[in-house]
Amino acid sequence: MADWISGLEAIVGRPYVLTHPKALKTYAQDGYTLSAGIPRAVVLPGNAEEARRAVQHLHHHGIPVVARGAGTSLSGGAIPTPDAVVMHFSRMRTIHHIDWENRIVQVDPGVVNAEVSRAIEPHGYFYAPDPSSQQACTIGGNFAENSGGPHCLKYGVTVNHIVMADVILANGDLVRVGNLAGDPEGLDWLGALVGSEGTLGIAVQLWLRMTASPKHSRTLAALFDEVSEASRAVSDVISAGIVPAALEMMDHLAVQAVERGAYPVGYPPDLAAVLLIELDGDPLTVEADVNAVMEIMAHHRVRQIREAQSVAERQLWWANRKTAFGAMGLISPNYYVQDGVIPRHLLPDALAFIDDTAHRYDIRIANVFHAGDGNLHPLLLYNGSDSREVERVQEAGLDILAYCVKQGGSITGEHGIGLEKLDAMRFQFSEAELAAHNALKRVFDPDGRLNPGKLLPTPGRCIDYRPF
Amino acid sequence: MITMTLDQCVHCGLCLSSCPTYQQTGVEMESPRGRLVLLELWTKDSEPHDAVEAQWLDDCLDCRACEAVCPAHVPTGHLVEEWRGHQAGSTPSLRLMRLLTFFLGSSKGLAWFQRFARWSQHPLGRFLVRRWLTWWPDSPARLQRGLPAHINRRLSRHRIASDPPQSHTAFLFVGCVMDTVYADTNQHTADLLRMAGFRVTVDPRQRCCGALHWHNGQPAQAQTWAQENIEAFEASGASVIVVNAAGCLSTLREYPELLRGTPWEARARHFSAAVRDALEVLSDEPLPHLSEQPTPVTIHDACHHVHAQGIFKESRILLQRAGYRIQEMANSTRCCGSAGIYNLTHPEMSQALLRDKIEGIPHGVDIISAANPGCLLHIQQGLVTQGKHVLAEHPIDLVWRAYRTAGYLPSMTTKEGGTARG
Repeated sequence: MADWISGLEAIVGRPYVLTHPKALKTYAQDGYTLSAGIPRAVVLPGNAEEARRAVQHLHHHGIPVVARGAGTSLSGGAIPTPDAVVMHFSRMRTIHHIDWENRIVQVDPGVVNAEVSRAIEPHGYFYAPDPSSQQACTIGGNFAENSGGPHCLKYGVTVNHIVMADVILANGDLVRVGNLAGDPEGLDWLGALVGSEGTLGIAVQLWLRMTASPKHSRTLAALFDEVSEASRAVSDVISAGIVPAALEMMDHLAVQAVERGAYPVGYPPDLAAVLLIELDGDPLTVEADVNAVMEIMAHHRVRQIREAQSVAERQLWWANRKTAFGAMGLISPNYYVQDGVIPRHLLPDALAFIDDTAHRYDIRIANVFHAGDGNLHPLLLYNGSDSREVERVQEAGLDILAYCVKQGGSITGEHGIGLEKLDAMRFQFSEAELAAHNALKRVFDPDGRLNPGKLLPTPGRCIDYRPF
Repeated sequence: MITMTLDQCVHCGLCLSSCPTYQQTGVEMESPRGRLVLLELWTKDSEPHDAVEAQWLDDCLDCRACEAVCPAHVPTGHLVEEWRGHQAGSTPSLRLMRLLTFFLGSSKGLAWFQRFARWSQHPLGRFLVRRWLTWWPDSPARLQRGLPAHINRRLSRHRIASDPPQSHTAFLFVGCVMDTVYADTNQHTADLLRMAGFRVTVDPRQRCCGALHWHNGQPAQAQTWAQENIEAFEASGASVIVVNAAGCLSTLREYPELLRGTPWEARARHFSAAVRDALEVLSDEPLPHLSEQPTPVTIHDACHHVHAQGIFKESRILLQRAGYRIQEMANSTRCCGSAGIYNLTHPEMSQALLRDKIEGIPHGVDIISAANPGCLLHIQQGLVTQGKHVLAEHPIDLVWRAYRTAGYLPSMTTKEGGTARG
């Protein structure tokens, strides 16, 4: 047994270092299935100090570390480089303290996102960032990816909701960034770390902002016979100055999948698109907003508008929407989800472009997205055993990202760059900008030990990722 | 070879937080998504398999929690079960399965099972169990502590008189553990059905549902019993099969799958369509509302109710209507660790899950309701071991007691089969 392994075992305890070859293979992927990398070992720390000592120990042996929460990343953020050790935070999942007076929740990185809201909801609060994977994904992962979600349209993404964090640096030092007041002193290091995809540091303790639950909330489902009308309706809602809590869209193919999934809501099978619109706040504003939205929908030839009649119905609609990616398994063996963003007024053009791309590459594309943010999620369906289709899907994906950048948008809204969009970073940034990124990376991690090969394209990628 | 398709899984990971073994261990191999990777490697990989790998797969409780939340309906529990079927002889021990076949397989065996259970309650019997049966593995001896205080002398199938067949007749499926250890619960089910206007028939020839054998790599035995149960139902002239054990319910409904590709498949389909849970049937009937009692009750949702069949609100409706105040427990839908004979084959994991379950019982609640014999035995055992003064009871028993106290059920047993509608 290698020295460094027994050293790890001494830190976290023998059962919490995995080296069995089959065990390592179960850690080869996350929610992104176009790549895989088998780690050297997996370590499961029981507390922040164990995590810190483990990172220090691995640094000493020159071994890279990849942090993993629930492995739900859609860009390969938790896929290890073949020479790396995965640090899995599933044992660190305690909500340590709820500070009601200052509205702060102190949590371990392995706490599941939905658990936070569940703990504070009975008291009239919630944790606002709600990624679709919230029933499984962890706060540590949300920190790394700066995760968004349907309700981030109004409430902001993860970076707006973490006020302080204890972070392990590449050499095993523990630093505290941010403060409980939630206003950064000096340069905003916390802002740089949130969304750095585990390449600058690993969060081992986080302090989250609680948000007061809205007094009143109404949820509408607008059913459309034409995608273009639905997307024009979205633009009009935004330009009318209305800020819905969430404004989501699913197209025909996506609706077909979710209706066969775990939470069918009974959307008509011939639907071209559905918009889910949630408005919240004080009752009078909500009333006015609902009326304005109804009028806009009517103007765009909506077939029907339904309103959720109960909390249970509202939850069902959201469960239906939030399990859309997983439901793709019902209509295709694999899918590749894109995360490009476009200026919202261009939604109709972007959807037409995506449709055209599907034809050009002879693939099927379903669309589920945060329409209100202009954050597209085209789901490119493929069969992993058809290598030519895999290639076509990857090329089509790059085409869509290039289009988003050309229109003044960006290559990612919330899923991160990971492995998936490394090549597309060159569409988004100039060489000088990329060099600046790399310079920051070197400040935190001069030897490239934290989640190597992710986020920042390195000239001539030398890492060999292989499917099993 | 595993025949079902594995590629429906898109690795979204939404199943992770629902999986009791992942929650307990925190390792990917003990999660549904990890198990699918292991299954795929098992079928495709040329590398040799070892016992550690088999253990990760075999640790699956078959609780179906992952199947219930999977957006792509990946039947992970079923896939593991199918894998187990191909590992016959290795897990669990053949000796244990032979013993179960004897005890659960016929009326005679069941009568012996009931006798042993009763004897083990006696102080002398308890002494002997501890003293002599040292070869007996620890876990069954531990389960003994979970037995109810009163075990009937006769199998419920012999005790409950059948009404003459007419329309609106329910075929009462008495089960094996229910028939012996919880014979009273079967009697109470019959009483409540009659109160709701049903006629009840009990065919003494019916068999164990076969779940334990099917789930533990002996499907042939389960098939034989399934055929006999189908015959018994067809001969009874009843329109509905009523069962009060969550585990049996799931298995009876899955008979078409068990008998797939055999000449029995069509009859199994007809049978399975007639199967209903006692809680479903009774919650649909207009049983009277009783005024609220002060005693609070918490509910444990059996996996084969909530995950496999979507039965959740029924026990709440019934208990509330019978006057119980419900105080929900944390993680009521998480597996208690009983899982068929999992508590015998995987004592460590099973006890860990049980500790969490008992911890979730709200303070000041003295009754935990569970509609499955395995859960009842297992949870009660844990409560006794921990010295907690909480009783695990079947909701049917709770409801029956409430109606009896309120004067709706005049006699203990209704041999005459009167339809005492309330």
